[in-house]
Amino acid sequence: MNLELIKYALLNVRKRKLRSGLTVLSILIGVTAIYALVSFGVGLQNYVDVIAEQAGVDKIFLQARGIGAPGTDPNFFISKDDVEFVEKINGVQEISGLYMKTSEVKKDRQIKFVFGTGIDPDKWEFIEESFTAGVEKGRALKKGDIDKAVLGYNYQLENKIFRKPVSLGEKLEINGRKFEVVGFFEEIGNPQDDSNIYFTYGAIEDMFPEVKDKFGWAMVKANRNTEPRALAESIQEKLRKHKGQEEGKEDFFVQTFEDALQTFTNIITVLNGVLVLIALISVIVAAVNTTNTMYTAVLERTKEIGVMKAVGARNSSILHIYVVESGIVGLIGGIMGVLLGFAISSIGGAIAVQAGFSFLKPAFPIWLTSGSILFAFTVGAISGVLPAIRASKLRPVDALRYE
Amino acid sequence: MKETVIHLDNVWKTYKMGEFEVNALRGLNLEVKKGELLAIMGPSGSGKSTAVNMVGALDMPTRGKILLEGHDISKLSESDLAQIRGKKIGFIFQQFNLINTLTALENIALPMVFQNIVKEERLQRAKYLLEMVGLSDRMHHKPTELSGGQQQRVAIARALSNNPEVVLADEPTGNLDSKTGETVISFLQNLNRKEGKTIILVTHDANVAHHADRIEFLKDGAIVKSKKNMKGG
Repeated sequence: MNLELIKYALLNVRKRKLRSGLTVLSILIGVTAIYALVSFGVGLQNYVDVIAEQAGVDKIFLQARGIGAPGTDPNFFISKDDVEFVEKINGVQEISGLYMKTSEVKKDRQIKFVFGTGIDPDKWEFIEESFTAGVEKGRALKKGDIDKAVLGYNYQLENKIFRKPVSLGEKLEINGRKFEVVGFFEEIGNPQDDSNIYFTYGAIEDMFPEVKDKFGWAMVKANRNTEPRALAESIQEKLRKHKGQEEGKEDFFVQTFEDALQTFTNIITVLNGVLVLIALISVIVAAVNTTNTMYTAVLERTKEIGVMKAVGARNSSILHIYVVESGIVGLIGGIMGVLLGFAISSIGGAIAVQAGFSFLKPAFPIWLTSGSILFAFTVGAISGVLPAIRASKLRPVDALRYE
Repeated sequence: MKETVIHLDNVWKTYKMGEFEVNALRGLNLEVKKGELLAIMGPSGSGKSTAVNMVGALDMPTRGKILLEGHDISKLSESDLAQIRGKKIGFIFQQFNLINTLTALENIALPMVFQNIVKEERLQRAKYLLEMVGLSDRMHHKPTELSGGQQQRVAIARALSNNPEVVLADEPTGNLDSKTGETVISFLQNLNRKEGKTIILVTHDANVAHHADRIEFLKDGAIVKSKKNMKGG
């Protein structure tokens, strides 16, 4: 392909500014949407990968089957007896039950309802490992900390949970009692987890005596040599028998961390995929539009094609000119779409982080950028193929006569 | 005896118009010698344009042979014909047919692009040809920024860009005023006399045709009269 012919194709794109501009716009919209959506998808996948790596794949959730968040339905729970039974199952290295109770927090006459999590202070390290987050400021809870609490990350921020930030040592009124704040958790990345309050078992049992030994869920860690999925199945089966329940009618369920993460990722991937598919439809529409534009261009330049053939242009040269021309339109649409998509994702990501959804951080890997641009160029070029074939097959004698 | 550059041997061209067949050329025989300035004359509908298309390898005959420097080109593919046209024949059209997006210089260099001539050589030759037609100062002007006469001079320079054997001028003065037309014709004459180019001039204007060495009169798709012009302008 001769450089001069590329230059000539470029000149034609530039000459019909309005028409080229509109065609570029139609491609740009699709590419922007795809680029932005995929960048969020990739960002989310990265987040999930990091979590999976940090928390490890050896974790298993044991959860009561209920409606809503674990622990919110008082009829379903994991009992202390269940936890003690599971602890003895072969392959289980560690297990810890967690209480979950909605709690009312007051500060300066502001009232908020958040989740309170009751943690076994002896298993604090195991919980930190499972949450992939630890105490960032202050200290962890100890046995006997009846009137002390560790707060989620967001309590330290202004206008997040309360108008004024909460500070270490401050006394907050929680469920009608005074609690001293002894520590803050690191940022987990979603507003719900980051507004959690952590108590000791003792504190929860003291506030809500009716839930004593009735955990919302339990976190299990598999032995180094045990396959977590097999262990999850074994827990499911043994606990069912232990509780004398029928298969399929258990009041609990067991899921490996990896499977839970996978479920979450799958939902997001499918959602993202559907959106990308919709964006792809707009690219197809753009392709049809480009083909139409190129047919018009061929018609408009029929005589010019005749002249080029008269002065020695082969059919292949004409074909190249028109394919390159529509490819250039696609390329421009692709580059602009990537720039716009980058801007939209960056702004959207910043807004999401501001709102506490730090896991919604878009990622812009080089393959995505180069792939989007290449895709747009290819779509443009392919859209130009049929008009280009028509142009190349014009008989010079007919083309020259065209007015 | 000068050698024959183009030979149309019993060339027929038949067009189908619905159920009817129209013979635009009926056994046309024409020989063009090297270095000749030939005029083809005829009224409209005489088959002049069809004959030019045959001579210029823009169209293929229904029957008969077209020999370019002794080689039969009537059976070649369109791409091969394009190559031959680019190399051997320079076209000058009534409507100039320059490409508006390109500058004068780029228009002249275009036929060389299709012959894969390197850039430096293309530019050097295009500049030389522009100078030859007296338009060095219009090098970077687009056709729309040039007068009709200037455009036709650029078109002449373009026709010469691959140094072709034959220059085919189809009504080259048709869109020009008589004075500019005269300049263009004398330009073609000079090309013929000084550079030895074979020039085929298609015209319906007797004043233009009388500059030629020989005039062939075409009617109903065949040569009806031949006239040698001893004066040659």
